[in-house]
Amino acid sequence: MKKNKAKASGAVERDLVFGFKAGQHQCELKVPLQFPVKDNVSDLHGRLMLLHKIPCFVEDELRSSLSSFVETNSIRDYDREAELALSRLSSGDTDINGLTNAWAKAYAETSLEHARPEEASWDEDFAEVYHELIHSPASETLLNLEHNYCLSIAELIGERDMELKQLQERQASEMTSVMQELGNTLSDQDVNTVASQHFEARQVLENRWASELKHMSEIQKKEYQEWVIKLHRDLQRASNSSKINEEIMMQPSQMEDSEAGAPLYEEQPLLEESFTIHLGAQLKTMHNLRLLRADVLDFCKHGRHGRGGAKLRRLQTALSLYSSSLCGLVLLVDNRVNSYSGIKRDFATVAVECTDFHFPRVEEQLEVVQQVALYARAQRSSKQRENPEVKRNGAEDKNKHLERNPSNIVPGEFYISRHSNLSEVHVVFHLCVDDHVRLGNITARDPAIMGLRNLLKVCCTHDITTITIPLLLAHSMSEEMTIPWCLKRAELVFKCVKGFMMEMVSWDGGISRTVQFLVPKTISDEMFYQLSNMLPQIFRVSSPLTLTSKH
Amino acid sequence: MRPLRDAQLGAFTFFASALPHDVCGSNGLPLTPNSIKILGRFQILKTFTHPRLCQYVDISRGKHERLVVVAEHYESSLSDFQRQGKTASPEMVLKVAYEVLEGLEFMNKHGMVHRALAPNNVLMDHKGNLKLAKFGLYYMTDRGGDVDFPIGYPSYLAPEVIAQGSFHASDPSNEEAPLPSGPKSDIWSLGVLLFEMCAGRRLLHNIEISERLKFILTLGCMDDIVTVLAEEHGCLDTIKDLPVNVLELLRKCLIFLPSKRPTPAELLGDEVFNEISCLYMPFQKPLSLFSSSLRCAHLELPEDISDLCKEDYLSERAIDEVYYLWCLAGGDLEKELTNQGIIQSKPPLCTLPKFLLEDGESFGQGRDRSFLLDDTTVTLSLCQLRNRLKDVGGEAYYPLLEEEQSSLPQSASSQDLSTTVTLPLIIRERDTEYQLTRIVLFHRLLQAYPYKRDLVWKDARVDIPPLVRGMAWAALLGIEGDIQAKYEGIDKDTPIPTDRQIEVDIPRCHQYDELLSSPQGHVKFRRVLKAWVVSHPDLVYWQGLDSLCAPFLYLNFNNEALAYACMSAFIPKYLYNFFLKDNSHVIQEYLTVFSQMIAFHDPELSNHLNQIGFIPDLYAIPWFLTMFTHVFPLHKIFHLWDTLLLGNSSFPFCIGVAILQQLRDRLLANGFNECILLFSDLPEIDIERCVHESIKLFSWTPKSATYRQHAQPPKTTAVTDGNGFGRPGTYYFSDYQDMPRTDLSREPLALSELKAELSPRISAEDLIDLCELSLAGGGKRTRAGRPKIVAVDVRSAEDFNRGHLSGSVNLPYSSAFGPDGELVQCPGTGVLHSFRGRVIVVISHFASHLVKVNFPRVCMLDGGIIKMRSTGLLTVPSPQI
Repeated sequence: MKKNKAKASGAVERDLVFGFKAGQHQCELKVPLQFPVKDNVSDLHGRLMLLHKIPCFVEDELRSSLSSFVETNSIRDYDREAELALSRLSSGDTDINGLTNAWAKAYAETSLEHARPEEASWDEDFAEVYHELIHSPASETLLNLEHNYCLSIAELIGERDMELKQLQERQASEMTSVMQELGNTLSDQDVNTVASQHFEARQVLENRWASELKHMSEIQKKEYQEWVIKLHRDLQRASNSSKINEEIMMQPSQMEDSEAGAPLYEEQPLLEESFTIHLGAQLKTMHNLRLLRADVLDFCKHGRHGRGGAKLRRLQTALSLYSSSLCGLVLLVDNRVNSYSGIKRDFATVAVECTDFHFPRVEEQLEVVQQVALYARAQRSSKQRENPEVKRNGAEDKNKHLERNPSNIVPGEFYISRHSNLSEVHVVFHLCVDDHVRLGNITARDPAIMGLRNLLKVCCTHDITTITIPLLLAHSMSEEMTIPWCLKRAELVFKCVKGFMMEMVSWDGGISRTVQFLVPKTISDEMFYQLSNMLPQIFRVSSPLTLTSKH
Repeated sequence: MRPLRDAQLGAFTFFASALPHDVCGSNGLPLTPNSIKILGRFQILKTFTHPRLCQYVDISRGKHERLVVVAEHYESSLSDFQRQGKTASPEMVLKVAYEVLEGLEFMNKHGMVHRALAPNNVLMDHKGNLKLAKFGLYYMTDRGGDVDFPIGYPSYLAPEVIAQGSFHASDPSNEEAPLPSGPKSDIWSLGVLLFEMCAGRRLLHNIEISERLKFILTLGCMDDIVTVLAEEHGCLDTIKDLPVNVLELLRKCLIFLPSKRPTPAELLGDEVFNEISCLYMPFQKPLSLFSSSLRCAHLELPEDISDLCKEDYLSERAIDEVYYLWCLAGGDLEKELTNQGIIQSKPPLCTLPKFLLEDGESFGQGRDRSFLLDDTTVTLSLCQLRNRLKDVGGEAYYPLLEEEQSSLPQSASSQDLSTTVTLPLIIRERDTEYQLTRIVLFHRLLQAYPYKRDLVWKDARVDIPPLVRGMAWAALLGIEGDIQAKYEGIDKDTPIPTDRQIEVDIPRCHQYDELLSSPQGHVKFRRVLKAWVVSHPDLVYWQGLDSLCAPFLYLNFNNEALAYACMSAFIPKYLYNFFLKDNSHVIQEYLTVFSQMIAFHDPELSNHLNQIGFIPDLYAIPWFLTMFTHVFPLHKIFHLWDTLLLGNSSFPFCIGVAILQQLRDRLLANGFNECILLFSDLPEIDIERCVHESIKLFSWTPKSATYRQHAQPPKTTAVTDGNGFGRPGTYYFSDYQDMPRTDLSREPLALSELKAELSPRISAEDLIDLCELSLAGGGKRTRAGRPKIVAVDVRSAEDFNRGHLSGSVNLPYSSAFGPDGELVQCPGTGVLHSFRGRVIVVISHFASHLVKVNFPRVCMLDGGIIKMRSTGLLTVPSPQI
């Protein structure tokens, strides 16, 4: 039994020599065996018997000598490896401090017994308290309180809008008079001065209102959180005291009479179609799909469903806030993390219409995202410097682009914001897309599509069971979006989402989900119906349950 | 598995490490989640039954890679002992050492190492016997490679284990897997454990982990480790006072260099145990059902037979049965663990990442504390189950098999149970009491296999309890003999040309299932398939064989030999010669018979499908080649096959027709393209309805109608088999091919001829039998459940009058059918309409016309009236006056 050759990972080949007597003959069997032995020893035995035509009378003998051979040699290998490690340590090849610290770190990071005690987190405690209260009789009161706070914000916003409007009117009339005088008494210079004065005045006013709003919502948030904590404490202390009930009841319920005069949200002809689908070849999982024509921000604004509906929505959203069935929305944004322009600005406006009592304001969340993005970038580039051979396709030119402005994000990346004050959504995925998606020829490997995939993966890992995706990867119609363009795009997104959903089954074990495909509000009825015809051709719609009497 | 006795069920949970985002395997397929790998590796642990090891029962996957392991559990452990802070008596120390070593030796023999030996993992039952817990953690996690946490407890790690380094999956700098630990590292852990018992205090308890480990590593320079440790803990006197053999034992365990340290097996034979080793009997592995030696050889009945029936019946059931029933009675592992505070989850909204890069790497997400390891074992309370079963009498636990009474025991609750039998299968499978009685019954029947084979058949017709399905199927398939030795004798390792195809197919076969998608599952798949291919040199691997293997492998995951044996028994019975290299003639004939069956049972559908050209070749090959395993998920296959295995080789035709009938409306409404689309991704089929329908169809099908020339030739033993032990020789369950052949049997037909015929043929023999005409004349045997039959003679009236089968109806072709093949209104057709629904045997060649006008159950007499002439059964009506 000699060592033949040692392979990289300690794999060694050794010869088993087995001698036996058959009649007059002295036979010897020599078999090279790979160590560590991977197969089952009895299989090995069976194969040896078969291949070398070993007579059956030595079967048991061979079995025992084979197993003891394997056993002793494996033990020897273990010992050798172990002592090698120990000798490395005593010779100083391995740093004893580094080694033991790594162990200590491993224990501290992974097991509860050795981990550092957790610092109390206000967010999570509040989450727990709120979740408990909202699933108790106090939920009504909570909602009313939230609503009242919302009303005062709305009042403030109304005042702001009024004042802004007045300012605008005043400025407009001033400007007209200035323009009339242009060329006579006033020069271009003067007009510019006036214009910039106007602009400044407007800025000042806007800022004043913004800070007032911020101030007010901060106060509201503080009050609200204190009140929730107090209510919870009281509820815990007294199980059935009438005082609590009074306290719950004390909050006047203004919800019913308040909005009577307020202008109702103008009802768009909302088109919507639902499908139940089955995914999978053998084991099928059921999911719900919905195709709807609406504005993306409709999912954020309150009051889309009339007064009664709004309250129900609000309750629904509040109930599921800390649950494991969250609702998400995909918002397509450009490569800058802020809320200054376009859809980002519109979204931010909607997001401050009510105070968010649970999460930081949108601006603050975005600031954190910017920090995280910078950190991620730094992390990634340091890693790439470490292993320069690992190159991702197309990473080169992107990196060049990024070096110019590291705080910008690239298409396919997305950031996530959390909200408690939107009507139907808890989580907003801000997916970065560029002008490229306007082209008709994007493929399944497009960053935006890959972004969708990652996004759905996050949905899996964080129990987001309802997700709304802009089907055409655009929030509004533009001229290049012809009928063929739309059909092509819809097909691509449908097919990719189907693929991702099939993949998701393996990630989360096939939890039933709802995916809503959103098309812009301005799309034609005809186009909508074409898309809704396309959907069942791509997804397998579950067979309708026909109720017939038994034959 | 062992009975529960005074043990309890315990559960503990841990997380498998998450996979790096977006990495593909070498085959381009997504990586298998670590939790599935662990789940696959875990299975073999269930077979480890040893008095010194806690029996593993089950593993289940939760959300986000959580795993919950269920095992035998006891509340008391050596750590209780430690907490009291007393020193143990030398006898106790020796006993502990010996029993732990017994467990370790058994594990080592199966190639396993404990690695996590510590006082809290050495449990004690009520008699004070030791049981090792969590002994499989190191093995099932691939030596800690699939989890983030290190396996083992800092104080008990052997020096070489520490030296080989901790492997931390989240640490990117350490890419290579940790080196495996050998059996000797457990000896060190045992030494530390014993030392603590002797010293009465815990080793280096108050020192930080890194310092503790450093101390253990520096012990290498010491001469006498035991003394050094004793000095360090200020208990030198206590240690010095120990008896010589205990001290010797400690020294032997705490040898720094592994090469000098003994293995568990060596230590077990050491002279320090001379005093107590005689008290222990070597462990005898109980024999399995299929072995070459006599199962009852070592059976000993106690003096007092009533000892066998303890008061607490449930405790006498096997651990896995109790756990199964516990689950049925509403047990919920995650809930139990949550109630004990072991599972703590944060709201997902609070743990969302902030930012994701394009390749899916996430940032801004704090490490969630609820993912940390808390390996406390929680005892599962059996109260709910006991409460549920409190009314079940002893008769249910000890049914009498020899009585001819109904299979269900007569007890107070038997009333409920006999009504339960009528409930849908899905409900019966969820019913605790019902499952208990069924499991007990099947358990006993299977223990008496093959002697009680016919009873197994009888009870399988009611239903098969899921827990024993693997064995029950084996019994139905008639597996016998030393299958293990046979399987081991097949060379499954030498590469063969089919390997590549098998390699491609396995990762695509029933991969939604956790077991079959695990790497262990793939390995077993490969071995069973290769074994089959190698051992059947006349047959080849066709795609589909993998699907066929899947249910057997799933049910017998820990017994490849049985899976192989079942598959080898199943294929000749239902798929004879389907796996020939050139199987076209077999398949073509099969499909033609199938389309005749469609015409026989549902002429309207058949006419429509023929008209649009949607022939079975386009959709039914995967159905039959895989016996529907390719089209249905496993849970449906089980219900389908529970019945299929009871039927004969023509039962699959009926299943096929039943499936078509469920889709009937859609098929009838659609053209060719829609039908192709519909079948490309088969819609959900209600399997219970399908089973019921196919049984109904089957009982309407004359046996000879499904005659196939290429079916399995009759077994020579078939005749004797039918009368003796074998399957009950009832009408439905024996094969047509197994019947003795006579002149009146069906004649083989050329394929082209067969294809031309729309409706099936029936043999003269069958017709005589079904019409209850007897060659002997008188003796009418009436058997229930036979198809009602009418023979229609389409010869001209003169021919008819010259001699015809008694009871047959004359409907001359010329008078019954119009020029376009439609039925003409005449008295004869009126009679025919009144027989609508019965099996109509047309004596002559015009059956297809009846099918075309949507007459169901039409078949044709093979050989025509000429065949009947020789029988002397033709009668001439006496002239009427």
